[in-house]
Amino acid sequence: MPGETHLSSVVTEAPAGGEWVDELLLAGADGELALWFGAPVDRRSLRALVERRERELVAAGLAPGGSVSLRLPPSLGFVSVLLAAWRLGGQVSLLDYRLTQHEVDQAVARLRPQLLVQPSAPVSGALRALFDVEPAYLPQAGGEQARTAHSLIQLSSGSTGPSKVIGRTAADVISELERYNRIEGIPQRGERAVVLASMVHVLGLVGGLLHGLNAGVPMVVPQRATVDGILKALAGGDEPTTLIGVPSQAEVLAAVAEPPDLPGFRRMITGGELVRAELWRALTEGYGITLGNMYGMTELGVIATDIDGEHRPALTPAPGIAVRVEGGEVLLGRESSPYLGLVDPSRWADGWLRTRDAGELDPATGRVTIRGRLDSQVSIGGLKVDLTEVEQTLAEAPGVDAAVVLYDEGIQAYVSVSALVGPGEIDSWLRERLAGYKRPRAVHVLPALPRTSSGKLLRDRAALRSAARDTHN
Amino acid sequence: MSETTAAPTRADVVEMISGYRAQVSKADTEDLDSLELAWLLHQAEQRYGVELDLDDADLSRMYTVAGAAEVLADLVGGRHDG
Repeated sequence: MPGETHLSSVVTEAPAGGEWVDELLLAGADGELALWFGAPVDRRSLRALVERRERELVAAGLAPGGSVSLRLPPSLGFVSVLLAAWRLGGQVSLLDYRLTQHEVDQAVARLRPQLLVQPSAPVSGALRALFDVEPAYLPQAGGEQARTAHSLIQLSSGSTGPSKVIGRTAADVISELERYNRIEGIPQRGERAVVLASMVHVLGLVGGLLHGLNAGVPMVVPQRATVDGILKALAGGDEPTTLIGVPSQAEVLAAVAEPPDLPGFRRMITGGELVRAELWRALTEGYGITLGNMYGMTELGVIATDIDGEHRPALTPAPGIAVRVEGGEVLLGRESSPYLGLVDPSRWADGWLRTRDAGELDPATGRVTIRGRLDSQVSIGGLKVDLTEVEQTLAEAPGVDAAVVLYDEGIQAYVSVSALVGPGEIDSWLRERLAGYKRPRAVHVLPALPRTSSGKLLRDRAALRSAARDTHN
Repeated sequence: MSETTAAPTRADVVEMISGYRAQVSKADTEDLDSLELAWLLHQAEQRYGVELDLDDADLSRMYTVAGAAEVLADLVGGRHDG
């Protein structure tokens, strides 16, 4: 597909038409359970809802080849608008509902959607995993038709500067669905999946929602992202149940002293970093389940898995995924660049995508072991945060001279200030510009930041910790 | 004290969190991390028989023992002497 790496003002290709949505996602017996979002949603009612959303999108001006940004929290509203826009042949970009208005404005300026869909009333509820929203369709002045053939556009934290814009065609998403179906041990028809991973990010979106619709595995989303909410969702059905989440959720579940009887609960699969051995033991023994791991990225979707935790920490590449390791970095085969617009050209070249993850490949088994990031990204509750972005935002705050942001039991920020600014003002600056999960746990204001002999900012955790301690005392 | 239905106090918060900290071998500090907070919410819901619904502002106040005690007192008992 030539030209995919360049954003052209001439539309040469359009996103796929909607047949694949009907065929692969919505098809099935009327009465079959499609989703469980606080209440059962069968295929007939999901189809009816998607058709209604489609009429609403058309009334708001969306046509085949049009573009729409969704800024909706996890909800039936999100699912139905997404499927309706795809069914119409639209290009859908997903914005995390936790982004601040400032971040949304930046994304809209970059993506130029014709429509922005957001909740008609503000949503609240920090412990909610699921929301009840009525979508509002806001036409955007300066919005443009889809400029590429991608059906799905996502923003991903970039290692430097603004986030990357990642595009996936319907064919690419379909090939990921086929890959899921070929992964041994993945939930199949007759099973259910309780999904804690966010449905606006790749694991929850494709692994939970789209695979679930495609394979007939109802996605169950708890009402609340609390221990109680998760246990209730797990207890809500006797079918073999898989819990898809992140390691921190495994951590809290493992601490429950006397878990209730959960007859259907078979396994948990976490995305993101590997859970530590002690936790793995506590959870698998405490609940009588298996605990596996999945490795994926926005650019490609699922890459390698160890569904039942049999090969910890090694992962088996998903069928059709080519992996190699070069200079300690994991590289993945991908026909064309997934990036839109300007991006560091070394991220994708000659059919290989650089993951910036360190890893090893066992030539005997073909399994890959991931050893962590090679850059400044960290994972907070399963969401990628680029510490460089946090640091740059902080350094731009009025009165802030210099800033160092690092991960040390949460995101920690160390700043020196030139003017009379208090932590409160710095905090409200960050609040306007960064989603909650990206914001530092603590901002330590120091009279001066420690520096190396050559004058560079010191990034040593212990030194910064002790400088902060001296300042507070 | 664990049988009380009065509003949670600072001491209750410390008590609820200490079991978890002992299990993961973590020191007692004034700051709560997100896992400790998730655990505390779970314990508070069980102990006081409530389903908590917090807004972002409440949640962000709960990352210290003192702040968590204040928010829980407001939500569970309506008392402010924590």
